[in-house]
Amino acid sequence: MTKDFNIDDISNLASIHLEENEKLKLQKDLEIVLEHVDALKNIDVKDEKIDIHPLSKILELREDESTPSLSHEDAMKNSPETKDGHFVVPPSIE
Amino acid sequence: MSLKPTIGMETHVELDTESKMFCSCKVVETDEPNISLCPTCLGLPGALPVPNKKAIEYIVMLSLGANCSITKEGMFHRKNYFYPDLPKNYQISQFDFPVGFEGSLEIVIEDSLHTVAIERVHMEEDTGKSIHLGSGRIDSATSTLLDFNRSGVPLVEVVTKPIISSAKMAVAYIEELRQLVIDLGISKGKLEKGNLRFDANISVAEEGSDELGVKVEIKNMNSLKSLEKAIDYEILRQTKMVQDKESIIQETRHWDENKQVTLSMRTKEGSADYRYFSDPDLPNMVINDEFIEISQNQIKETPEKKRKTLLDTGLSLSDSNYLDKGQRWLYELYLSTVKETGDCKSTFNFLTGELQGQMRKAEISELPQWLNSEKLASLINLFENNEVSFTSAKDILAKLLIEDIDPKSFASDNNLIQSSDNDEIKALVTSIIHENQDIVERLENPEDKLVGFLVGQVMKSSESKVNPKSVKEVLLKELFG
Repeated sequence: MTKDFNIDDISNLASIHLEENEKLKLQKDLEIVLEHVDALKNIDVKDEKIDIHPLSKILELREDESTPSLSHEDAMKNSPETKDGHFVVPPSIE
Repeated sequence: MSLKPTIGMETHVELDTESKMFCSCKVVETDEPNISLCPTCLGLPGALPVPNKKAIEYIVMLSLGANCSITKEGMFHRKNYFYPDLPKNYQISQFDFPVGFEGSLEIVIEDSLHTVAIERVHMEEDTGKSIHLGSGRIDSATSTLLDFNRSGVPLVEVVTKPIISSAKMAVAYIEELRQLVIDLGISKGKLEKGNLRFDANISVAEEGSDELGVKVEIKNMNSLKSLEKAIDYEILRQTKMVQDKESIIQETRHWDENKQVTLSMRTKEGSADYRYFSDPDLPNMVINDEFIEISQNQIKETPEKKRKTLLDTGLSLSDSNYLDKGQRWLYELYLSTVKETGDCKSTFNFLTGELQGQMRKAEISELPQWLNSEKLASLINLFENNEVSFTSAKDILAKLLIEDIDPKSFASDNNLIQSSDNDEIKALVTSIIHENQDIVERLENPEDKLVGFLVGQVMKSSESKVNPKSVKEVLLKELFG
């Protein structure tokens, strides 16, 4: 069974801060999830057709035509801070 | 220990469509920020993506052009990561089942052909653009400005297998791919505009070893010069590390143009960290035979086909590749002119040397309407048949660029036709031999450089009105019998 994961890595990737007690709780929850996944792995599916998407609908495509978009003012409306027509966010460097 | 580098390229190609990939916002080329946005490309809750048919046709064309197999049933995945220029916190991309897979591109390095194996060609969407404000250094920015005009522009990623072995080969590959998207008409292919952006995955390993070394990715380059320098630098850096028994870490680096070095950006995420999963908003993408045929029928030209056409005229591989990667009008003009001259090398030299040179000098970007292949062929034939000197041919071309003239009539009217009259030439040669006895005495054999000097003297005394080839023949006969 796969229990070998680091809860700190997972919370970093999800960009959420966890307190120590939350980490313990989530560690246990995720272990249970992984147990379920391991149980699924035991099902014999070798004769099954691969179903690659939950929806059987075929993708609808649209013609390459542009239509008017939101006005600049409307697009910026929800932003707490703007500058020279840009959205402003805290410094973000990879 | 002898080490060999291995390089794999990932290239993002911005498609030239009217609207974005998953919404109908216009694709704009402007400095005015945030003017082409809607709830979908802003990642607002509840907005649903609808793919652009033209973009899917274009990626199928590119896949076919890169000799790939096409998936019958593709699908979109969410690639999850947090960065402000990606407002949904995931990018719609493809993971397994990319549109194109297992292809190859033929590339030219100097005078030899090589093949680069293509692993996959997949569809995704572009991100917005970030501007980091502050002291000028990005790691001490005080805030980040975002422009989402580019968010959702259709992007194709072309990934090679790790089989490129040098910076030169990587550059030749990008040149071929760039020409392919231009010839297919699916992207403007302008590197300076970021229409093509590439990442290079580089590792070094012991020669003969089947295993690859630890991979370092150099991200987001858009100039061939930077690509070549960055790869060369990285190969040296890694080689030195291996030789010094230091361990290389898997990471992302960027090329610092000012310092001419690669610098570490971050430890690279593994594919699992992106937590790819199929996008529930987008059902399977069925690409049936009819759709492939429609896309195939839109392919009029590829660089490989053009190169074959050029090679068939007798040109060398490197000359063919030069015209293949050049401007379209020059390629077409060469083909129609060589049909009339029947001489591939002189036609190539005249068009790429004299014609392009004079156009650059006169700052003419388009050929005048009257300057057709018939006139150029007539001019090339005039000097190839020694009827006019090369200097006169250049003068006639200069005139042709500003005025509609007939090269042959112009040469006759302006007394530019060279004489091949042997008696006239013999008289001139005799006179020059007489005047240059000291040089004649120093001549050792017909290959002596001084023969050229004497030919030049005869040409000068005739004011270039005689044929230099005939002059040389007569001169050698007089001197050496």
